[in-house]
Amino acid sequence: MELFDVVFYVFAFITVVSAFIVVFSRNIIYAAFSLLFTFFGVAGLYVLLNADFLAVTQILIYVGGILVLLLFGVMLTSNVINVDIKTGTIQTVPALVLVAIVAGSLSGLFYSTWKDVSAPETSVVTTTPALGKMLMTTYLLPFEIASVVLLVALIGATFIARRST
Amino acid sequence: MAEQILQDLQLFYPELALTATFLVAILADLIFRRTSVVVSGIVMIGFVVTAVLVLGQSDLHASIFSNMIAVDPFAHFFKLVIIISAILIVVFSLGSAELNSPNRKLGEYYALLAALTLGMMLMAGASNLLMMYLAIELSSISSYILSGYTKEAPDSSEASLKYVIYGALSSGLMLYGISIIYGLTGSLDIYTINQVLAEGDISGVALLIAGVLTLAGFGYKISAVPFHFWTPDVYEGAPITITAFLSVASKAGGFALMIRFFKVTFIDSSVVTLPEGAWATFEGFEWYHIIAAMSVLTMTLGNLVAIWQNNLKRLLAYSSIAHAGYMLMGVVVLNNQGLAAILIYFVVYLFMNLGAFYVVMLVANKTGSEDIEDYKGLGARAPFITVALAVFFISLTGLPPTAGFIGKLYLFAALLNSGWVWLAVVGALNSVISLYYYVRVFRNMYLRPADQPGPPLVFGKLQTAIVLVLLIPTILLGLYFTPLVQLAQASVKIFGTP
Amino acid sequence: MSIPLHYYLGLSAVLFAIGVAGVLTRRNAIVVFMCIELMLNSVNLTLIAFASFMGDISGHVLVFFVMAVAAAEATVGLAIVIALFRNRQTVNIDEINILKW
Repeated sequence: MELFDVVFYVFAFITVVSAFIVVFSRNIIYAAFSLLFTFFGVAGLYVLLNADFLAVTQILIYVGGILVLLLFGVMLTSNVINVDIKTGTIQTVPALVLVAIVAGSLSGLFYSTWKDVSAPETSVVTTTPALGKMLMTTYLLPFEIASVVLLVALIGATFIARRST
Repeated sequence: MAEQILQDLQLFYPELALTATFLVAILADLIFRRTSVVVSGIVMIGFVVTAVLVLGQSDLHASIFSNMIAVDPFAHFFKLVIIISAILIVVFSLGSAELNSPNRKLGEYYALLAALTLGMMLMAGASNLLMMYLAIELSSISSYILSGYTKEAPDSSEASLKYVIYGALSSGLMLYGISIIYGLTGSLDIYTINQVLAEGDISGVALLIAGVLTLAGFGYKISAVPFHFWTPDVYEGAPITITAFLSVASKAGGFALMIRFFKVTFIDSSVVTLPEGAWATFEGFEWYHIIAAMSVLTMTLGNLVAIWQNNLKRLLAYSSIAHAGYMLMGVVVLNNQGLAAILIYFVVYLFMNLGAFYVVMLVANKTGSEDIEDYKGLGARAPFITVALAVFFISLTGLPPTAGFIGKLYLFAALLNSGWVWLAVVGALNSVISLYYYVRVFRNMYLRPADQPGPPLVFGKLQTAIVLVLLIPTILLGLYFTPLVQLAQASVKIFGTP
Repeated sequence: MSIPLHYYLGLSAVLFAIGVAGVLTRRNAIVVFMCIELMLNSVNLTLIAFASFMGDISGHVLVFFVMAVAAAEATVGLAIVIALFRNRQTVNIDEINILKW
């Protein structure tokens, strides 16, 4: 087993286990912090897949943005002093059955469709210049529309969360 | 490249006008903080300008911004439906008592209305999976905020939360479907995907699962069963102007997107032995069976549950679910006749559904209630308004001589012509069921006396005029419909398809 | 890259299934948002796996946009949760499964 394989299994293990904790933990703080490990695990997998720019973006946006936002949400709506914040009953058995069915059928599908795909023999190259070029040419319109989406979210979120006077 | 972009921009004026409207509205809201009249005026002017620009785009046939957006008669038709309903919604909003309460600022409301309209117009033309996703998200995020706009009403923010959660779930499912399609074909451009599929050797099962997952996103936008769960709560909790807008324009955008996606991506254009205007699916991927099942479920569930509703907004929500089911029948037949029938139905639906919502809003402005029980004796208190509501309901049922009849007639004709008799029978039975719950409202308005007789409801000239603007087409299109039919038949041309 | 493509895809399927199960079974709105982020991460992993095995960049572009929109959606979603919390605190806090201050 090469080092590359070991690294893959380590990241995969971190990702799956922490994702399980997010869904099955009764404590919302534990859930939020294990989500941190999921995001890091996925970012690690991006690096293995040669997606350097997106791995960094993943950490900046998901960990630096979304996770912090979620933690703010938790703290604004719960009793922070009491660390043991219960979030109600969890239907563990039906949830596990659901995970098994969905994951099983999808992996089966993927295995049967893509089992023969061999890895391309490419050396490690950075994707950032190509990505930047695409955003300014082919994907120029989506890039501009995304800015409208963000502006809408910005205005809307401040409006909704603002205390009505 | 730069020259190409400048050239493409000339075909993008309506959307540019809407973006400008959105930005100017935000700035105006910052300057004129006290009054929202300025912002509503700006948005109104922006919408009218956009409508004029859309009208100027008839009979274009192009694909712009590296195949991101198609500008074709099909998109043109849906853009017209969307912008006309947007203008009407601004007019409705100006007279809504629910929105214009003393300490509410409406600046953001009108600005976001422009953003929502932009999202829907992009949905009408999007021809790249990435662009489709972005257009859906732009319209979704704006509608989450707008449906929770009356945030001090508890059911408004609850509706909004439900909307966000279902929206995020279905866009997640859709993205997973998109990612599988990308893996199978190596492209996000629907024309390229079609070419790759036409070459064959793509796993049918994988394609089917990807198609169903992607359908979750479209099904959510048109509120088709089983992606409809958000609809009743959001329609009831949101401000009624937004409910009316979502029920017409959001559905229009969703249908345009879905039809374009299926028609361009999953239609085999190499089959030549077909009658004029018919389409052929790829062998081993007969997706129309799924749409047929969805259509039956959607109209049956919508109509059956509507029977038990006591809140008129909720009743209209279920009725709009049922109408999505009727329109889906037009996709199943796989030919241009069915497509034209959907387009005709949309115009008809625009007037009758907005009309019904407007009357419900007018009554709620005066009585403060949307409960069917409170409509007892209303026939005597507000004769004109109730007659108008009765006409809209007759049209929604699909009885002659109203426009709704013409809409249903063309749909059923398309079904019978291509041999879908059983589906036509299910549709007809559903129309009979729908008569039952509309009649319940008539009975309360005309036959039952009110528990406590109230004074007559008096409406202003402007409000009467708006009702007439919606009422006249509802009747007129039932009697003289040739121009509408011709327009619809000319608008079935989708870019990139034969 | 000695790990075959379907390993990455299988991993993303597991992640997706966990996310879907969480959305359908959990009652706390914030946890539901976390589960939706899990689903989106799984989508991104699938896209990047395909993109790098095909040597195509457009999958990366889509991931970039999914991240941006996910952030926007989470912002609006949490703002709505906070507005709802503010309302229900005075009306009926047991209705949403979050403890009050």
